[in-house]
Amino acid sequence: MRLLVVEDDPDLSEQLVDALRDAGYAVDLTGDGEEAQFLGDTEPYDAVVLDLGLPTMDGMTVLERWRENGRNMPVLILTARDRWSDKVAGFDSGADDYLAKPFRVEELLARLRAVIRRAGGHASAVIGCGPLSIDTRTSRVTVDGNPVKLTGQEYRLLSYMAHNLGKVMSRTELTEHLYDQDFDLDSNTIEVFIGRLRRKLGADVIETVRGLGYRMAEPEDGE
Amino acid sequence: MANKGRSLAFRLVAGAALWIIAALAIGGIMISALFRDSVERNFDARLSVHVDSLIAVTTADISKRLVISRTLPDPRFNIPYSGWYWQVSDPRGTPHVRSRSLWDKALTPPQPVERGVMQTGEMEGPDGEMLRIRFIDVTLPDLPVQSPPVRFAVAARVSELKAELRPFNLALVWSLGVLGLGLGVAVAIQVRVGLQPLRRIRTALNNIREGRTEHLEGEWPAEVQPLVKELDALLEHNADVLDRARTHVGNLAHALKTPLAVLANEVSRKGGPRTEAIDRQVDAMRRWIDHYLTRARAAATGAVLGARTAVPPVLADLRRTLLRIHADKELTIEVSGGIGVAVFRGEQQDLEEMLGNLMDNACKWASTTVTLSVATDAEVLTITIDDDGPGLTPAQYEEAVGRGKRLDESSPGSGLGLAIVSDIAALYGGELKLKESPAGGLRAVLMLPAAAG
Repeated sequence: MRLLVVEDDPDLSEQLVDALRDAGYAVDLTGDGEEAQFLGDTEPYDAVVLDLGLPTMDGMTVLERWRENGRNMPVLILTARDRWSDKVAGFDSGADDYLAKPFRVEELLARLRAVIRRAGGHASAVIGCGPLSIDTRTSRVTVDGNPVKLTGQEYRLLSYMAHNLGKVMSRTELTEHLYDQDFDLDSNTIEVFIGRLRRKLGADVIETVRGLGYRMAEPEDGE
Repeated sequence: MANKGRSLAFRLVAGAALWIIAALAIGGIMISALFRDSVERNFDARLSVHVDSLIAVTTADISKRLVISRTLPDPRFNIPYSGWYWQVSDPRGTPHVRSRSLWDKALTPPQPVERGVMQTGEMEGPDGEMLRIRFIDVTLPDLPVQSPPVRFAVAARVSELKAELRPFNLALVWSLGVLGLGLGVAVAIQVRVGLQPLRRIRTALNNIREGRTEHLEGEWPAEVQPLVKELDALLEHNADVLDRARTHVGNLAHALKTPLAVLANEVSRKGGPRTEAIDRQVDAMRRWIDHYLTRARAAATGAVLGARTAVPPVLADLRRTLLRIHADKELTIEVSGGIGVAVFRGEQQDLEEMLGNLMDNACKWASTTVTLSVATDAEVLTITIDDDGPGLTPAQYEEAVGRGKRLDESSPGSGLGLAIVSDIAALYGGELKLKESPAGGLRAVLMLPAAAG
């Protein structure tokens, strides 16, 4: 999962980036409104954490422009302005959630998981696919009820694919969503992780679509 | 006009009344004196005519005794004690001849100042009444040269003079009284009409208080126009200062929140034995900021300038927003019985804070449904919010509205929500009550001042 954090306070943005990376997200950071709009318009983010008081262009305008340009990634507004009129305006501009400062990192992470999950069409925090079950709250993965130990990189790849069940994803797309801007793209890395996941979870969990990429099958019966 | 001593109208009317009474009294006295003077002169003239006639009919006979050749024509001189008398006497007052009306009494006119000049005096008459007397000392040609002058006197009762004056004075008092009354009424009407603009200002200021207008509008008399202009400037200045103060307080609060977030996150990231204490303090600081920020915003509006806010659009905005905030719960927010045209007498943002917090709280705890109902009469706007969640015990109601008390630390957000609602409602003279809901959960009843729709 790749996130964009738009926050102009250097200390807070450092904390946010650290906490989000620790939680397994790839994170891009900007403290400038216009740059934020450009990044959001051009990069495939899975979610955005957006502050409202920004230099050059305020957060609400950035959000409105994204929505006008058809960018519909989930956006969580993180701001000190916590009046209900601000919240109403935020949601009406196209925000998916609204968190007032000061906040707890755990709450931010929980809400981010929820907006990403909802954006992928999942109502529950636990995503199931055949014998496989992924709890997005605890990062626990089980196969037929037995826990499976995954490394951070493996979990991130699995989690992104599980949020996009049934969709064919190219290696480039997977790389874009798993690593931040500065990462040197090497598509072989993805192949290596796909191989490891198949060994740990069973070969039929991830399907190879020849010439296009990979796909996780949609579950047949709900969970 | 509770304090008459300081009322402009009273001062104007009382001042005018004093002047009217004084002027009418002085005028009355002068007119009465003039009339009295004229009547007296008239009376004296009549007496003089009689004195002249008396001189004309008086002659000396052969023995040099004074006799009357003809009686005076006025019959009152012949009726005893009729009040009309004449007498021909020597200068000491011993009568030579006298009218029959005098009977055997004599007139004793005061000593003359100058011989040959008609003079006037007052004296007591034969039956004890006051008489007005005209007399003159004359040397008759019929008498020897050395003989003393003869005094001719005619007298009449003073009461006759007074009888002429009395009806005039009475009529005078009545007409002046009516005139005074008329002037008084005219002054009162004039003062009322004259002070009309001041009453209009009062009404206009009241309208501003009630939030119906923002300025003293319309045409004003030239004398009042500067006052109106200054008042308008003052109102504008006041609104401006309030606005700036609120903006500064808001900016301060918002500026503090980012550093607070950094502190809290830094501490929880580093861990250590003091984490929990610092965490609590940061939380307390956030609550205090929210508490006083809300109070500052609300206090700045509260009673000063009455704004009006229509309830339905605010409810619709909050409902839409809350459904998205609580998207995971798939809640229903019902509005029972229609909202109508309820209007809150206060600022929109205060209504939003109160309703937002109450509805958010209901949404947090509800299992499926939150129900809203709005009722309003001329004075009170009542908004009831029910949820079908676990509810509270009566003992918890009191705690819930206490400042910053969190009932269940596991629920997101702070327990301050309900306390802030209670605070803002109190600033508007309203009230928040918590009860058991028929739906099973909590019922919050918010009573606020209503404005006419």
